Amino acid sequence: MNRILTLTSYLLRSLFTSLAGVIYLILTLAFWFILFNPRQKTPDASYYILVIGLFGAALVFLITLTNASRANKVELAPWLVRLPSRIEYLTAVFLSSIIAAGILQLLLALLSLISGPTLTFSQVLGIPPVWLSTMVVTAVLALHATDLVTHGWSRVYVFGILAVLLFGRSVTNQSISGFASNLSEMALNRGWYEISESLRNFAVAQQGSDTNIISQLLGFVFWPFQALADGISGGGFTAVEALAPAILLLYAAILFVLAADFFAAKDMQMTE
Amino acid sequence: MIEINNVSKSFYSVQALDNISLKITQGEVVGILGPNGAGKTTLFRLIAGLLKPDAGDIRPLSGKWPTIGYKMERLLFPNRLKVSQYLSYVAHLSGVPSSEIEKTVFESLTRVGLVDQAHQPINNCSKGMRQRLALAQALIGNPPFLLLDEPSNGLDPGGQGEMLQRIQDLHAEGKTILLSSHQLPEVTQVCTQLVILNRGRIQYQNSMVDALTVSPHTIITADRDLWEIAPSLEALNPDVQVDGRSVVLRNEAMELRREILARLLQEGYDVVHVERKQITLAEVYERAVLS
Repeated sequence: MNRILTLTSYLLRSLFTSLAGVIYLILTLAFWFILFNPRQKTPDASYYILVIGLFGAALVFLITLTNASRANKVELAPWLVRLPSRIEYLTAVFLSSIIAAGILQLLLALLSLISGPTLTFSQVLGIPPVWLSTMVVTAVLALHATDLVTHGWSRVYVFGILAVLLFGRSVTNQSISGFASNLSEMALNRGWYEISESLRNFAVAQQGSDTNIISQLLGFVFWPFQALADGISGGGFTAVEALAPAILLLYAAILFVLAADFFAAKDMQMTE
Repeated sequence: MIEINNVSKSFYSVQALDNISLKITQGEVVGILGPNGAGKTTLFRLIAGLLKPDAGDIRPLSGKWPTIGYKMERLLFPNRLKVSQYLSYVAHLSGVPSSEIEKTVFESLTRVGLVDQAHQPINNCSKGMRQRLALAQALIGNPPFLLLDEPSNGLDPGGQGEMLQRIQDLHAEGKTILLSSHQLPEVTQVCTQLVILNRGRIQYQNSMVDALTVSPHTIITADRDLWEIAPSLEALNPDVQVDGRSVVLRNEAMELRREILARLLQEGYDVVHVERKQITLAEVYERAVLS
């Protein structure tokens, strides 16, 4: 733990004493000035929680890319050699990104309270799980986008699967039906009559159906994000929606294990 | 200490290391020689764990991986840090207790002669200082195994001498060292084992003592060119070779020294120098690389 904290403090120091750190600070202040201008009318609590939460997620993504890029410098190779496990290194990158983004998000949150919304105690209690879980999952996702973690085609696989899931979520019954009809015709041309018949029946069924199985199935993966948004905009979480942060943390854990696996097995081709 | 078994490594179509096997035992100083691109740095990075072998494995002989101090060939550091700050980070990462960090850093700086530069930003350090700083960070935490990739590269003769002395001191302390260098005298003086790499393969591997005691020869130098009597001298033994003003006697031909000296004097040549030589590391290297 001592080693992870040492690396974390180095990465934080490196970030906040660099131009990138200053730019992130300016970005935070600019965001506050534009979206929470104290001279304008007070935004409501749900706007405050949602917008600052999204800002934190976007910021942690960028900061993770920056920190991972710094950690991938060849000058730190002797440090990496000293560690009993590479995972400690990755954990430090992750932790430093969360802390850096958390500090800036907190700054924005405090500044935005000037002429901002009045938050109830229950709303204040609800903020940390929402913001933190979103930040954690975004930071881990950002790790997969970095050269530090990428192993072979891993980046393409991870973001490819994510893109497919996003695409699948928005697919309509009409397009599923059309796709199944095309497949049915192809099967018919090849003489696969039974398969063609089944596909045609499926296409017809989808055409007249109100339920979209694929969209629902793939959309389930993104349910925690929807639940958080619904909970915030609705002014409170239902018992089921309250599970969303925990599920996001579960996603983050799975993605982090995957990132750790890639990082542990890869050749460290560090940059100069 | 560690054993490298049939390790191969390639980068896209370039075969950097090809079926390398090597055993590095406790207390040895193994010198790795080879031309640029021979695979020396790749071997260091594999042992350091920065790269993973495509085939084969690297394992500790004792069952537990030794702590490794790695001095890279490139002298790159986080430039915004001061010398002592940088070493403090290394000490923390090496598991030195917090109460001993300051003492450890000071000892390390003293050892490499950088105490006066402790509070200087690394950015302002000269190449010589950077070499010493790189060695200092490798020594922090007293690791038993050191990987020193070209430790005296770019140093002036005085600096090279100091670095040589430091490596000899480390050897005397019982450290196991893997050393890569283009400075053949340095390798000759400090290494106990010699490995010559070329095009990713081990071309030569021997103990330094054995490497330098093979091929003893005697060189007789005359006052002028010996071309007139070269055929008759070379006819005495296949290991007699005339080269300009010199006669080189190898192996059994060394027994013919008196006879050749007598022949030269008899033919009116003046013998200006007779020297019995061992093979030099440069010759060993040249033979291994050219083969």
